[in-house]
Amino acid sequence: MGLVENGKLPGPLTTLLNISRKYSLWVYQWGLACCAIEMGAAFASPRYDVMRLGVIPFPASPRQADLVVISGTVTDKMAPAVRRLYEQMPEPKYVISMGSCANCGGPYWDSYSVTKGVDQIIPVDVYVPGCPPRPEALLEGIVLLQERIASEDMTDRWNRDPIVVT
Amino acid sequence: MSSPDTNAEEIVEESTEPQEELIVDDKREAFVDSITQDLGSSFIDSHIDPEIDVWIRVTQEAWSETAKILFEKHGMNFFNFLSAIDWKPSPFGREMDAAIDNLDDEVTVETEMEWGVAGGEKRFQMLARVHNPATDMGVNVKADLEGDFPEVDTWTLVYPGANWHEREVMEMFGISFKNHPNMVNLYLPTEFEGHPLRKDFPLLSRRAKPWPGIVDVELMPGESDDETEESGEET
Amino acid sequence: MNTEASAQQLSYIENQASDARVNIELETEGMTLNLGPQHPATHGTLRIIVRLDGEQVVSAEPVMGYMHRGYEKLTEVRTYPQVTTLVNRIDWLGSFANEVPFILAAERLMEVEAPARAQWIRTALFELSRIANVVLFLGDMAVQLGATTPVFYAFRDREFVLNQIESVTGGRFHPNFDRIGGVKDDLPKGWIQETKDVLVRINSFCEEMEDLVVGNEIFQTRTRGIGIIPADTGLAYGLSGANIRSSGVDWDLRRDGGVGLIHDQLDWKVWTHPDGDSFARYWVRLQEVRESCKMVGQILDGIPSGPIMAKVPRIIKVPPGEAYVETENPLGIMGYYIISKGDLVPYRVKIRSASFNNVSITPWVLKGVYVPDVISILASLYFILGDIDR
Ligand code: SF4
Repeated sequence: MGLVENGKLPGPLTTLLNISRKYSLWVYQWGLACCAIEMGAAFASPRYDVMRLGVIPFPASPRQADLVVISGTVTDKMAPAVRRLYEQMPEPKYVISMGSCANCGGPYWDSYSVTKGVDQIIPVDVYVPGCPPRPEALLEGIVLLQERIASEDMTDRWNRDPIVVT
Repeated sequence: MSSPDTNAEEIVEESTEPQEELIVDDKREAFVDSITQDLGSSFIDSHIDPEIDVWIRVTQEAWSETAKILFEKHGMNFFNFLSAIDWKPSPFGREMDAAIDNLDDEVTVETEMEWGVAGGEKRFQMLARVHNPATDMGVNVKADLEGDFPEVDTWTLVYPGANWHEREVMEMFGISFKNHPNMVNLYLPTEFEGHPLRKDFPLLSRRAKPWPGIVDVELMPGESDDETEESGEET
Repeated sequence: MNTEASAQQLSYIENQASDARVNIELETEGMTLNLGPQHPATHGTLRIIVRLDGEQVVSAEPVMGYMHRGYEKLTEVRTYPQVTTLVNRIDWLGSFANEVPFILAAERLMEVEAPARAQWIRTALFELSRIANVVLFLGDMAVQLGATTPVFYAFRDREFVLNQIESVTGGRFHPNFDRIGGVKDDLPKGWIQETKDVLVRINSFCEEMEDLVVGNEIFQTRTRGIGIIPADTGLAYGLSGANIRSSGVDWDLRRDGGVGLIHDQLDWKVWTHPDGDSFARYWVRLQEVRESCKMVGQILDGIPSGPIMAKVPRIIKVPPGEAYVETENPLGIMGYYIISKGDLVPYRVKIRSASFNNVSITPWVLKGVYVPDVISILASLYFILGDIDR
């Protein structure tokens, strides 16, 4: 994929690769707190069923994952582990920050032990607000991310603004 | 058979009714009496909420012995929790609240210490609770601690469940425990500075960004007020 | 402990002793295994450092704090109504149940009492959140022992319970519905009938689990006689809830020390199990879900009419004093020790959460077990990280 990252691939091939990437997102579940249960409801429950979107929530290790969902409160003690997880993932990689806690600290904005926003340690592609966000909101975040992947050009990948689900 | 009984009960009820405020809690009174005898001079004070709860206060030296007596003599074999209280008023007063929340009084910084039930003398107080499932009676135990970084005997020899609670108290208040098997931080990273539950530990985020305060006080159901028109929009 | 259980325990100890001999003969070296902080087999971010000798655990030490959010400090800077929002998030599977003891403690200090209807609604939601919580456990424990399907069933049927909670409170997860002096709103129209249908579903889910999991031979061999906790030890560690009832202690605060809720007016039964092993803990919880369904059914039939809110001031100031109230929450006994100085904010709140004590027994109970049993014991102790770390 080195060519892709350098942006030297002919257009049609990029489109093809993008479509295949879009529908085979392996997502690593990084469940941290209450939001993890809503993520579990979105990923493991028959009612929401994320696999119909082409998202596979069963990688055994972050090294096989394209996408990580940080769901829940990141504490200062946990932050190094989150960082290490992110560094283990292969490029191109995406991060969804789920819930107010991961976005900005949420109800613990004044706590002494909570990291106020996971974006202080890793770059975030999609913010899903809510406390907790409904599973539908997480699914919308994933769909928006897929839309972006479909039209992605590797050269300006890092210059974009993150998506905020509203 | 039954009629004389019921009569007697009725009479008793009638006689107790006027003095309803003075419920006498025999179970807890008896407990306090017997523990006063067991502890002797180490026992300082007690407080009874009739039919609800009981507090006792002992000296720092008798802290672990109290646990033993409660466990062995009073069947308090269920360990509930162990914690501490910092009675020193926060030097920040209400400074860390929004101005809007300080409804009637000016921001005043209290300096006098005031203690709760069963009294107190020192800044730090241990607070623990054990319970006897058989008689369904719990007891809150307090003890005053000397100094700013006090040391007190451990309860783990009697109640092994106190282990983690004591570690928590150690990092949250800076109170250490003699003979504790593993006195290291429980929650916070080892390089964390300060003891968060002390009243003089500031929440720095509040300094940087003031708390917005009570911005919306919701209407209680069935309550009609001037603001009903506003809340009517919701429906 | 009955004879069967002690026989099981004896044979288990014997096996372990012979295994220790094998370990010596094989000259196995000690090894340190790090489970977590993020491990598929632990819920949330509990990290356990286990020292192994061959297949056996020599010592296990949980490392916590990966989810420590500082509740007790934050309650000192939140007003009473704001605290309920915060404490919702302690045990996030049965959120409503977290609010109840706090509200009851504040009510005791303010000397107000919720009207009858409010108490009945509270109890109904309390039990519904127990169902929402424990149903997930019933599926999750099976997953940890290698059966994937039950958790799908659990998530499927839990959704219906959450729907019912949502239609009353407006929140699937964190309702923040309980108020000092009552509840926020009345029940919506048609709710009673819908809930009855959901209860039928949950009951059939329990039947399903009974066939699928409890009756399963693999499940039985992996849980029976594993992780036995004697009653005395459990009490001294402060184990509560189903964990202690499955060691044969017949103690349930809903029946014995009930404050504020109306469990004593309902017809139900406290289940205990004499064995104290992982199987017993699963079994007791399964029965508890059934009892909760029964209770909710009775509440729906008998709920009185009337006001849902007592007279309390708009701005809540709690008079000085101290109060400790505990209730039997889904995970065990949860209590709040509130110290008030007559302010808008509590002076200090000590949160006694159930999982913290339940998990503090792990170093004791994991000593000498085999590695696969670690998972089954941890799963059966049933903790929620927010409830441990707070
Ligand atoms: S955003 Fe809310 S629901 Fe999500 S982890 Fe934080 S407190 Fe829990």
